[in-house]
Amino acid sequence: MIKKQDILCLAGAAVFACAPLVLDAYWTDVLNNIGLYAILALSLNIILGQCGLFQMGHAAFFAVGAYTSAILNTMFDIPLLWTMPLAGILAGLFGLIVARPIIHLRGDYLLIVTIGIVEIIRIALINDVGGLTGGANGIFGIDRPMLFGLKIKRPYQFFYLIWGFCAVTIFLFHRLENSRFGRALNYIKDDDVAAEGSGIDISRYKLIAFVIGAFWAGMVGTIFAGKMKIISPESFSFWESVLLFTIVILGGMGSIRGVLLGAFLIIGLPELFRDFASARMLVFGAAMIAMMIFRTQGLLPPLPRKYDVSRFFSKAEGEQS
Amino acid sequence: MEEFFQQLTNGLAVGGIYALIALGYTMVYGVLKLINFAHGDLFTIGAFLGLTLLTSLGLTDSIGPVAGLLVLAVMVVILVGVVGFLLERIAYRPLRSSPRLSAVVSALGASIFFQNAIMLIWGARPLVYPHGLLPNVTVNVFGAELPLIRILMFVISVLLMCGLYYLTHKTRIGTAIRAAAIDQGAAKLMGIDVNRVISLVFMIGPALGGAAGVMVGLYYGQINFTMGWLYGLKAFTAAILGGIGNIPGAMLGGLLLGVVESLGAAYISIAWKDAISFLVLILILIVRPTGLLGERVADKV
Amino acid sequence: MKRFMRVLALGLVASLLLSSAALAADTIKIGLQAPLTGKYASEGLDMKNLVEILAAKVNADGGVKGKKIEIIAEDDAFDPKTAALAAQRLVTSGVVAVIGTYGSSITEAAQDIYDEEDVIQIATGSTMVRLTEKGLENFFRTCPRDDSQGAAAAQVLKDRGYKRIAILHDNSSYAKGLADETRKRLDDNSVVFFDALNPGEQDYNTILTKIKGFNPDVIFFTGYFNEAGLLLRQKKEMKWDVAMMGGDATNNLDLVKIAGNDAAKGFFFVSPPGVNDLTSPFAKEVLDTYKAKYNSLPASIWSVFAGDAFLAIVEALRQTDSTDPEVLSEYLRNKMDNYPGLTGSIAFDNKGDRAGKFYRVSEVNADGEFVMLP
Repeated sequence: MIKKQDILCLAGAAVFACAPLVLDAYWTDVLNNIGLYAILALSLNIILGQCGLFQMGHAAFFAVGAYTSAILNTMFDIPLLWTMPLAGILAGLFGLIVARPIIHLRGDYLLIVTIGIVEIIRIALINDVGGLTGGANGIFGIDRPMLFGLKIKRPYQFFYLIWGFCAVTIFLFHRLENSRFGRALNYIKDDDVAAEGSGIDISRYKLIAFVIGAFWAGMVGTIFAGKMKIISPESFSFWESVLLFTIVILGGMGSIRGVLLGAFLIIGLPELFRDFASARMLVFGAAMIAMMIFRTQGLLPPLPRKYDVSRFFSKAEGEQS
Repeated sequence: MEEFFQQLTNGLAVGGIYALIALGYTMVYGVLKLINFAHGDLFTIGAFLGLTLLTSLGLTDSIGPVAGLLVLAVMVVILVGVVGFLLERIAYRPLRSSPRLSAVVSALGASIFFQNAIMLIWGARPLVYPHGLLPNVTVNVFGAELPLIRILMFVISVLLMCGLYYLTHKTRIGTAIRAAAIDQGAAKLMGIDVNRVISLVFMIGPALGGAAGVMVGLYYGQINFTMGWLYGLKAFTAAILGGIGNIPGAMLGGLLLGVVESLGAAYISIAWKDAISFLVLILILIVRPTGLLGERVADKV
Repeated sequence: MKRFMRVLALGLVASLLLSSAALAADTIKIGLQAPLTGKYASEGLDMKNLVEILAAKVNADGGVKGKKIEIIAEDDAFDPKTAALAAQRLVTSGVVAVIGTYGSSITEAAQDIYDEEDVIQIATGSTMVRLTEKGLENFFRTCPRDDSQGAAAAQVLKDRGYKRIAILHDNSSYAKGLADETRKRLDDNSVVFFDALNPGEQDYNTILTKIKGFNPDVIFFTGYFNEAGLLLRQKKEMKWDVAMMGGDATNNLDLVKIAGNDAAKGFFFVSPPGVNDLTSPFAKEVLDTYKAKYNSLPASIWSVFAGDAFLAIVEALRQTDSTDPEVLSEYLRNKMDNYPGLTGSIAFDNKGDRAGKFYRVSEVNADGEFVMLP
């Protein structure tokens, strides 16, 4: 059965898909940046929003993915989009390795460790580790992505690539959220002792959440590399991780709608505030505080889970008769 | 050996500043369980206010350098304390009962706000404290040449920390602060005005940061509007290293971080310095998940 | 109502046609991409001011073949992602050529966008070698590049007879590039130390103590004036009396302010001539206009290179009587020869680099002033 809400969503998406027709290249590119951050924030949302793990180093996985793609593409001439799965897998593997020993850390201790990881990654990239990353100069000359024989280079072409990927992400993560796995993560977030008591292997679930988030961020790295054509360590600083963290919390931890809105506000507002000239980041900081004060749970917190109780009853009756 | 000793003192000098800033983090965290990301910027405000007061009032000329600097430091400490008080009222109090991370985002917003406010008020170019305020005298300790000012700075840091330790552990107010840190509800029932305690903590923590700002300005000379972010991050690391919420832990963490950085740079690699100190932090946390002096938290059942 | 709509539609179409015709008729748009906000806003604003003065001058003299020049400035905030956005904005606004920008990695982020859209770009504060090594047809620069600076720096170090050289950079692509280029040209045995500091910190005692252990007779720091000032100050405090040299990013008087006259005395650096050293009558005239209008001279030489880029574009437009990027690019690369610019004569080599030699040595005197050595 198609619900009214779904139709509204599809209609909204259809209208949004027409955006590049009316916007110029600049605003289309702003939307592209928003899209990239939205996907990244959605992947962080699994770890931070759904599972409640304080992760402030998400740019590390993004970096691993972007550099994997860039190295494979520039050194071995593998078409960029083909490197996407591998970028994801390496980022996921990296996530598994670093998260394994630290997953039991509590709250703020985990936070500083993830900050440490993203800083170590940045320093390693800057120091040209293994002679692969090009140091501070980064890697240049990355190919544009090719899709069905079409070279993607203009902002409106990227718009469809990025937001198409974003749509897939939303669909999959929505399914994940409502699965047994998603409910387990929420349980861990709310009360990990009780969750463990109910037979949830919390370390394992936390690790899986970490790996999924890292995997997805790694794949976004591929698109980023194709869009910028040059990547350098500065694009993956601690500050990027802070932005992603802010998007998820401001949007409302664990809510996909909220994260999307958060991405629009955090990435879009500084562009809108350009009229304030050099005061624009000042206004932005004040806006962040104000939004948090007036919506303390985030802008669009997750709705309580609803279950159609009558369904269970009718099923039970059916069995009786 | 002489170089080792020299590097050790280099590390302790930087570590003393980290420790002083880390104290502010740890106090606020202890009571509110809030990571105050704006703390580093309060430190920067201290440095800039110090410079403005120094050049506009000319205290060092009228009442002599030592008394002048002391009066100056006291003024900055009070002013930064007031800023901290206002910050808590406006940006954190409305979020007291909401999820912990909401307050963290508010703190990040405050950090962006302060940083840009400093830039708009004092400009984007680095500013410089007047030269020659402090005499350049070195003392020879075990073969290492130590500037007298570094020793003084270290001593002042330690004195401030001891003062704070005395305040929190030996006085009535301190007892109230510790009580509020352990259990706000119970503290309220015992007749402690928790809101007042929190306001007080939010004045003491930033005030210490402001004092550190003036010291950094006087010693290093150059100050700029972005410096608080880096110091703040280092101080946060130090606080976690020692066990956040724990005052002696912040001191230990700060000094240790300074020494690890300095020795790592001296004997391994300068470029990898920060990576080395983060690695040490991670290793320590794997072995001691709540930091060096942090209490082990029992699982609630 | 229907009639009203029809009139409105007609009016709209007419005005659109008119305005586009008007634009096509008498203006040529030239873009300027510069950091107008952020860390290096002062550089960007200087660039904009200088280019606008020159544009006004050209327009007052009748423009280019009767067409007025219009400058469209976009902010890149010294950030690669914003630079890509600024480039998109300029490309959509229909400029024939773009001047700028400041910062190699920022220039690089915009480079491909201009190239793919066939817009000429003349960079002004982007010295990284590889920018002109990619074979982009529409890319030029009026500033020198790091390898020529590296060669100049190595020559100075050799001429002054230093045998034990410590090279310190700050891991930015610019400083690392200069450090590498210099090291390449020095005897391997003479470089006793090579490492990077973290820019933005304040305490460099650890690093100085470590370098002291290698007992060099000169420290070559390739980073920016801020850290250079702190290094000088802390070196003095350690009572360590070793010579120190800088690259062109230390060519800023704030260095002396941070270090203090005493500590900065004797510090020397290789750099293109400063704004005060430009003595041609044309440069004097333009800089006087600048000073009359903005009450000060441009703070650094980099904004003057933006003026040169503008002059080169205008000259190409005049000589070719075309706005076709292919024709313009061909003219700039092969035909422009010793056209008198602000910083000297302008010509480009095959790669799009500025031809000619620039580097001079300056030293800080006892009064904390920069003195250019002959």
